[in-house]
Amino acid sequence: MNAAHTGDGPGDGHGVEVASLDGGASLDGRASLDGGASLDGGPGGGAGGWRGLAGRSLWASGAKSLAIVAGVVAAVVRFLVGSDWPPGAVVTASAAAAVLVVAAVVAYDAARLRATRWRLTPERLELRSGITVRQHRSIPLDRVRSVDLRADPVLRFFGLTVVKVGTGEHSAEGTDLALDPLTRHEAESLRRTLLRQGEGSAPGDGPLVELRWSWIRYAPLSVWTFTGTALVLGGLYKALDSFGVEGVATWAANGLWAWVTARPLVAVPLLLAVNAAAGVLGAVLLFAESWGRYRLDREPGRLRLRRGLLTTRSLTLEERRLRGVEISEPLLLRLGGGARVKTIATGLGKAAENETEDVAALTPPLPRAVAWQLAARIAGTRAPATTSDAGSSANASGSGAVEMGMGALVAHPAAARRRRVVRALVTVSVLAAIAGAVSWLAPWSWVRLSVWAVPVVALASGMWAAVTDARSLGHALGGRHLLTRQGALVRRTVALDRKGISGWTISESFFQRRAGLLTVSAVTAAGQGHYDVVDVGRADGLLLAARAVPGLLEPFLVREKARENQ
Amino acid sequence: MTGGAQVGLRPPRHQADPRAVAWWTVQGLIFLVPVALAAVAAYWIFTSRPLWLGACVGVFAVGCVLLALVAPRAYYRVERWEVTDQAVYTRKGWLTHTWRVAPMSRIQRVDTARGPVQRLFGLADITVTTASSAGAVKIEALDHEVAAELAERLTAITQATPGDAT
Repeated sequence: MNAAHTGDGPGDGHGVEVASLDGGASLDGRASLDGGASLDGGPGGGAGGWRGLAGRSLWASGAKSLAIVAGVVAAVVRFLVGSDWPPGAVVTASAAAAVLVVAAVVAYDAARLRATRWRLTPERLELRSGITVRQHRSIPLDRVRSVDLRADPVLRFFGLTVVKVGTGEHSAEGTDLALDPLTRHEAESLRRTLLRQGEGSAPGDGPLVELRWSWIRYAPLSVWTFTGTALVLGGLYKALDSFGVEGVATWAANGLWAWVTARPLVAVPLLLAVNAAAGVLGAVLLFAESWGRYRLDREPGRLRLRRGLLTTRSLTLEERRLRGVEISEPLLLRLGGGARVKTIATGLGKAAENETEDVAALTPPLPRAVAWQLAARIAGTRAPATTSDAGSSANASGSGAVEMGMGALVAHPAAARRRRVVRALVTVSVLAAIAGAVSWLAPWSWVRLSVWAVPVVALASGMWAAVTDARSLGHALGGRHLLTRQGALVRRTVALDRKGISGWTISESFFQRRAGLLTVSAVTAAGQGHYDVVDVGRADGLLLAARAVPGLLEPFLVREKARENQ
Repeated sequence: MTGGAQVGLRPPRHQADPRAVAWWTVQGLIFLVPVALAAVAAYWIFTSRPLWLGACVGVFAVGCVLLALVAPRAYYRVERWEVTDQAVYTRKGWLTHTWRVAPMSRIQRVDTARGPVQRLFGLADITVTTASSAGAVKIEALDHEVAAELAERLTAITQATPGDAT
């Protein structure tokens, strides 16, 4: 134990620990695991064909445990120095703690590797796992819908990859099967076998899109650019606080505050500039990390997305699960002329808890025109025809739809805008009433004045949102797709495959009924489950639904020549 | 609007079983009468029984009971359903009308449910689930024999339909 210097600690530590913990048998097991074709089933095996995970995982987890070691050692040092230990004892104690941590992590990983066996038979992929609770999962090969590879920098260094096999059913129930980790070579060949792609991955026509580094200019166009730095600083303060270095943090914060109050004219703009600069830098770095080496390919029957500068990810999406595409344009990105493309697919599910990124995201932020072209190519190369409503292009507000050749979206009636304006005005008047009450009751005069800023700001932003939201409303019916658009802050244009519509929900609130509007919602198995055409004129909406899926709604429609006088 | 012909959705053919009104009333009373009683009891025990508060509590209690008596009748009038060979079609809602259409070819599951009190009234609910996460189509308070028959018919049609209904 005392021989463990931090220099090559992980290697030493795990070798010693595994040997002492599991005995010689496990070492043999690991040796054969490295070969990748171990037939000795391990604890749960016995039958042929069972294989273990990559034994090199021990090195990777050892390396990763160093992060924990740093924290533990810092805590130990602080505690012991506080209680007057001699320096030599402190060093020994922290070295021991470090070895213990690494050993524990590696031992756990070794136990996990020992307990995990997987097998690929001609019919199914099977996985046995679990140290205390044994699990046996098995996926029929014809149910495999996606094979995702993911490798963080440490795993990449050791040539390892985590393979996640999805069945396309709702992954909330944990139907995904993860092999954590395999060697990169094994992972690639497993991916190819599972997706029946032995004929080679050279479809010839090149990638659908590939990263252009000029797109990085869209990276800072996000709210996080301006709030991110503050959040990170806040988190840092918290972390310092819990490590007991609060003195430093408080001292820094106090000094900063004193400086700001002393010279607000210099300090405030400077701080804002620094905040923005740090935010931009962070956004750019994040973009580079997650979208570096981005490449979207169309392989026969599926889309394959590869990205990531440090942590590489490879996602495969079967095209027959695809039910449409969504183009999303958040406000800042929209102002900068950018957009992102997302897929609407069945069984994609929400992002797993430990993954922050959106599973459905297909592209980084990119120029709007590129986004529309890509959406058109993914959704089906033929550009759908315009709706039969002639002259609708005049009041169409869209920009991209025209470029895409999808024809213009039909704008929604003026009543839709009226509803939004009224809603905004009602909200503002409620706020104004509250502001009035506060300014009447509040004892301080500065509160009495400044409280009126709230309804004023609300009026401006509310009216802006109302008008923008109303202007973004639109729908159209293409040859294969139902298009709908909505949203002020984030404008979303959805092209939903008409064959993917599995029902309609049509709702009409009291106020909508008075305005002659309704909301037509196309129910689908993919994506968020339903996509809405909001506040469309009653006849327009019903006819749209009737035409989009022939024969479904038609039997329940009634056409009357004059219903106004009823 | 497109002008010319006015287009609307016709109401589905069938209503819930008339016994549904009684059942919903019982259900409402089971839930709302304790609420009303609790309000009155709280007033009687925890306050010094000022008259104005008494009036408020009285109005609240009477309102609860009235709601339990009136709402089921309103609900019965607006809630309608229909099953054709192609689709399940329902309407509900009093202030906000909601129509739902689910084609037979996309139905994945048909459930019948009967609660204990519901059983006393001889009623049953049918829930028709499609592959979407956006929610199932529910037909409430049918005569339990009608419901069983309907569920059987729906199941038969669903099984006859090829594909995985997504």
